[in-house]
Amino acid sequence: MEPILSIQNLEKSYKNKKVIKDISFDVKKGEILCILGPNGAGKSTTINILTGALDYEHGLIQSEKENVHDHIRTFKNRLGIVPQDIALYEELSAEQNINFFASLYGLKGRNLKKQCDAALAFAGLSDRRKDKVKTYSGGMKRRLNIACAIAHQPEILIMDEPTVGIDPQSRNHILDSIKKLRSQGMTIIYTTHYMEEVEEISTRIMIMDDGRIIAGGTKEELKEHVNEEKLYHIDVDQTERLNEQEFYHIEGIKHVNISKSYVELSALKSVENLDRIIAVFIQNQTKINSISCEATSLETVFLRLTGKSLRD
Amino acid sequence: MNQFKNILKMDLVNLFTNPMWIFYTTAFPYILALIFGFLAKDSYSSTVTSYDFYGITTMIYSALNAATLAANSFMEKDIKGPNMRLIYAPVPSFIIHFSKVIATVIFTTVCYTAVMLLLHLTVNVNYGGSNAIYLWLLMVLVELFSAAFSVMLCCVLKTEEAVNQIISFFITIMALLGGVFFPMDGLGKTVAAVSNLSPLQWIATTAFQIIYDRNFNLLLPSCFILIVLSIICILLSKKLFRTEDFI
Repeated sequence: MEPILSIQNLEKSYKNKKVIKDISFDVKKGEILCILGPNGAGKSTTINILTGALDYEHGLIQSEKENVHDHIRTFKNRLGIVPQDIALYEELSAEQNINFFASLYGLKGRNLKKQCDAALAFAGLSDRRKDKVKTYSGGMKRRLNIACAIAHQPEILIMDEPTVGIDPQSRNHILDSIKKLRSQGMTIIYTTHYMEEVEEISTRIMIMDDGRIIAGGTKEELKEHVNEEKLYHIDVDQTERLNEQEFYHIEGIKHVNISKSYVELSALKSVENLDRIIAVFIQNQTKINSISCEATSLETVFLRLTGKSLRD
Repeated sequence: MNQFKNILKMDLVNLFTNPMWIFYTTAFPYILALIFGFLAKDSYSSTVTSYDFYGITTMIYSALNAATLAANSFMEKDIKGPNMRLIYAPVPSFIIHFSKVIATVIFTTVCYTAVMLLLHLTVNVNYGGSNAIYLWLLMVLVELFSAAFSVMLCCVLKTEEAVNQIISFFITIMALLGGVFFPMDGLGKTVAAVSNLSPLQWIATTAFQIIYDRNFNLLLPSCFILIVLSIICILLSKKLFRTEDFI
């Protein structure tokens, strides 16, 4: 697939602190690129730069071989943005909100009405179109937030954590909608820290941490990174007496994560070391409640690559 | 132009559908003028009643308060979210803040004109008869300057709270010095001289000269200064406005 967007050597600082550190990536036409990372990884900053809302010190963003910042208004016309926060006029109806935001992209008359109807239907809000937004549930507002971004039929839809704080039903509706938009030919850039969403909708994944891209590829390619590993999850009564280093001395242990009530260990599949792991708990008088051994998941990939859990 | 019209319309809808702001620009100045007028009625003559005096000073004070409304319509918590979408849209950033100035002026002009009419009809406040149009023009320009100054301050300080705190403080000081609540002339020469520092005082003087002396000498310079200052504030806003402060 040809890239619809090409980002090269992007850098951005806030108050002398680099928050985006020399990142480069392509967005291919028709894909769902999920940008995955914990809070503060630089996901929102990256997409705000792509939208033209934030400046950057260094780098180049190209679309169709042209620097987008030379034609920023034309480029903005091709974008649909779903911001992380609900960005709607609460005192107005869903229909008025969509009509207003779509009109800023040059839609008017019959075409505006047609696209507004389509966006409302897409969000499942046709029957509540005249109701004020302030009477909506959190999930309905999230869906309307998306409808306002797609009414003008953008080529590229950028979604910044669009499912934060909503019920599972609305989340499923949103994820299904995203797949539907892709099937209609839309290119989607989706940031999240929910691993299960990435597993469900992504065609390609980019993992960010501390302003850098630390890995990229399809789900399968990323899992391949750690395919030779297994993950032990050990629930214990307490972890105060445990020391990471004791686990690292065991042959085959690649990564250790000690939380309040559990320990997670990434270990080479080829090495049998469970008896030695248990011995560390016994020596430190730590009671084991349960042990499980999991297959490689994206969570494992993330843990392995960043050294931290996604929701840390 | 179409985008500006749409954004301006939306800003006006936001202002006209907010009951608190409607109260603040209609009932509040009306009640304030009535209370001050009633309390001071024995200190004024029958030619220039206390209602005549406070009917003018209260309205000028209210026109300065357009600054608070402009800050609200630009950066108020509930408005800031949807405003963020304007930044993502293919809209020149100038019209995002300029529309707030114009919307505030239209809103306050409609509300304050209604209050002035009401004050004239209920307590017979003298707005200069056929010369009322000049007074009205002066009010509109004070509103324009207040709104433009406030939006510029928003671009500098980036938060509505900080802007409102500063503006409220200065408007109160100017109102006190300008004799909105009680005339400063009786407090000695020094106080009267300090009082002249308040723009509210020279706007009030311009207004009283138009109404009672049919003297328009101060009107043109006042209008000119207000227009120039407003343009400077609008241009400075254009220079200082940074989209990332909205994100």
